[in-house]
Amino acid sequence: MSEIAQPAPRGGKWGAVGRRVGVRLLSAVPALFGVLVFTFLLMRVLPGDPAVFFAAGANAGQAEIDMVREQMGLDRPMHEQLVRYLWDITRGNLGNSMTTGQPVRTDLVERLPASLELTFSALLLALSLALPLGIVAALRPGTVVDHVVRFLCTLGVCVPTFVSGLLLIYVFYYLLAWAPDPTGRLDIFAATPPEITGFLLIDFALVGDWEGWRAAAGQLILPASTMALFVLAPLARMTRASMLAVLGSDFVRTAKSLGLSNWRIIVVYALRNALLPVLTISGIVFSTMLGANVLVEKVFSWPGVASYALDALLASDYAPVQGFVLLMATIFVMVNLLIDILYGVADPRASVA
Amino acid sequence: MEFNRRQGLAAAGGLAMGAALPAGEASAQTRAETLRYVTGNTVNSLDPSVPGSTRESFGLSMNVYDRLAAFGRKRLGDNWVFDHNDIRGELAERIDRSPDGRTFTFHIRQGATWHDGTPVTAEDVKWSLDRAVSARSLAPPQMSTGSITSPDQFRIAGPRVVEMMVERPDRLALSNMCVPYAIMINSTLAKRHATTDDPWALNWLKDNSAAGGAYIVEQHRPGTQTILRRNDNWRGGAQPGFRRVIVQTVPEVATRANLVERGDADLSIDLQPSDVAALAQRGRVKVVSVPQTNGFTHISMNNTMAPFDDVKVRQAIAAALPYQDMFQAALFSRGRALFGADWTTTPPNSDFPQPMPLHTNLERARELLRESGHPNGFSTTFTIGTGVSAWAEPMAALIKESLARININVDIRKLPDAQFNTGQAERTLPFYTEGGTAWLPAPDYFFRLYFTRPQRWNFASFNNEEINALTREAQFETDAAKYDAACKRMIEILAAEVPLILAWQPLHEAVMARNVDGYTYWFYRQADFRDLKRV
Repeated sequence: MSEIAQPAPRGGKWGAVGRRVGVRLLSAVPALFGVLVFTFLLMRVLPGDPAVFFAAGANAGQAEIDMVREQMGLDRPMHEQLVRYLWDITRGNLGNSMTTGQPVRTDLVERLPASLELTFSALLLALSLALPLGIVAALRPGTVVDHVVRFLCTLGVCVPTFVSGLLLIYVFYYLLAWAPDPTGRLDIFAATPPEITGFLLIDFALVGDWEGWRAAAGQLILPASTMALFVLAPLARMTRASMLAVLGSDFVRTAKSLGLSNWRIIVVYALRNALLPVLTISGIVFSTMLGANVLVEKVFSWPGVASYALDALLASDYAPVQGFVLLMATIFVMVNLLIDILYGVADPRASVA
Repeated sequence: MEFNRRQGLAAAGGLAMGAALPAGEASAQTRAETLRYVTGNTVNSLDPSVPGSTRESFGLSMNVYDRLAAFGRKRLGDNWVFDHNDIRGELAERIDRSPDGRTFTFHIRQGATWHDGTPVTAEDVKWSLDRAVSARSLAPPQMSTGSITSPDQFRIAGPRVVEMMVERPDRLALSNMCVPYAIMINSTLAKRHATTDDPWALNWLKDNSAAGGAYIVEQHRPGTQTILRRNDNWRGGAQPGFRRVIVQTVPEVATRANLVERGDADLSIDLQPSDVAALAQRGRVKVVSVPQTNGFTHISMNNTMAPFDDVKVRQAIAAALPYQDMFQAALFSRGRALFGADWTTTPPNSDFPQPMPLHTNLERARELLRESGHPNGFSTTFTIGTGVSAWAEPMAALIKESLARININVDIRKLPDAQFNTGQAERTLPFYTEGGTAWLPAPDYFFRLYFTRPQRWNFASFNNEEINALTREAQFETDAAKYDAACKRMIEILAAEVPLILAWQPLHEAVMARNVDGYTYWFYRQADFRDLKRV
């Protein structure tokens, strides 16, 4: 085992992990910087003048366009804009959004929990479906069960999220009236919980308002299902493939020959080993979902970061788009790091390199 | 450690109590007294004059702020529409106009108060008017269309009396006191948040209100929702029917239609014409459809760019467009056609926009094209913005098909809105379509705004000496007959020169619960909640 093979570093095992995490975070800084500069330049290279777009009042002429340009700092040379932008970022200022009229940081802080809550719920839902489905398919490859799982996955991947989203709304809200109206995170007439974490389910649980918790969960079910359906395929297929490989390996055969119970073999020995690739793919799926759930956010009026960035992009509103890309890049770095740490938990041989 | 955690929980509990109070109070009011308005856009500023404010911001400010004056409303068929010829006082209880038409005296309503309970003073009004002509906002260019340009034009003439003077008797001076930019602000409150960089408190008023209007902003979350509570001390008009109004952003248009039809929302506008038709047919909601009397959809040709600088080419295009088919395909004919009139040189009246003598006649189009020296046609690009693609795409396809018959090859180009607007402002688009709305639908204002000067809203970059001169005079014309004659002459020139083609006025369609009554079409194309009540 690794603890034996390697000399124990000073500060113990956790100290080593901490140092490695630190190094990893530091090494991400150049990448983040690159993303920042690239987005900054890209936004300015794209055609479309935000000043013209926002000075759109009747009678707004060139003077007003120039005024907006000056307010947005776009009248300065580009290198000066970039330096100013970088300087602002070091002080935690991401600029102002013309679309919502708020500082970008405020907007992102308010909207990120909504996106994260939705993405986490969708991922949990997807995993809770994909793991059993993948395992069952792997245990009975080539049978009807396997084909049904394959069919479900194909369906989930083929139907675009806005179609499945609108379909779910049509059936469960419009026709059956089982779901609450698909307009955001909470019924508009319901009382909101105090802002503690920004995650409604957690906030409601913290103050013990279980009625509110149920309401928030009710709003979450349809959008989370829509997204879960979409990512079911990679997760279930990966589980199946990796389970098949593990089930055919020597140690499982040994376990079988030793007469261990089926349940113990599958869950304790096979699954734990099969989880590694699933974990990797979950990390990727999570990051993708966070950025790509813009259609789901639009369809369900979910006040998340992706729909926010899209609105800004359509209006050529630079600051929010840049802020969003920076946020996504940071989250991507964090998620990858977390996955690597979890790797170590699932497989002690792997370490946070 | 244990102690700390308890403290944390107690703090959380305290927060919960604090947050729960207003919500509890709110739920005491019944659903019937609440209007839930769902819209695809967002209220991004509480001050409508901030650059970038959305139409929803204009609509909201009409309910939150008072202006000195307001337009009345009149019946058009079964519906209510605004009437720009009927101006009444709003914050002013009386408005006097001097015989020479150059001085307006506003008498502030007795007992008028701001939302914080302090009385409205002449100083507040003077400050608000000064702000409308001085602040770095979208208000000054609008005010200048009524010859209102300088703080010197406003004078405090006594307690609760303010005078406004214009150099010449501008026909639109008073009308400009009715537009969303002319809000009356609690100056004591606003000045407290003014800075040396921002003397008119633009930044603060974007997210806060210092108002005295019919509704008070209770909660404002840009991008999500804004909640209003009725101001029971408001005396600017009849008491509004709803105690509470929720303006909620629901981006998906199909969802908005579903919400109203299921009865969960009470009002939505700007739905897809096809959805509205289906909703009207199923009959579970009330549909109010009013032609946008101050709006139009145009097909513009760049008059400074070859070949559209040749009047014969423009006339050929005007004769080649398939008007009726476009109207059907783009809008399901839900609107008022501005083509197909049977007059030839002189219009029957001075109203504008009015139907123009535009007819599809391919023979005539070919002949005109020959006369212009393009017997073999030419190639051009027709541009549409993504924001209007729902109706512009079918229209563009029909234009392409029809112009191909007279050998004009049209490429259709679809651009994101910001890019489209940039091209339009820089006048690099040769041939395109868009919609327009004039807040003040006086014919001379229409012509001044859309057909004169090298500015953005002169869609076709039209420059006609006679129209330039006529608009300059008509603005100050006090004689009704002379004004009418000038307007008719301008319409004649438009029909002959066809700088652009006015296609139709789309319907403004509002879908609402069947028991909501009083919906009025306003020039800023938003709901005025003060008009509405449940019956």
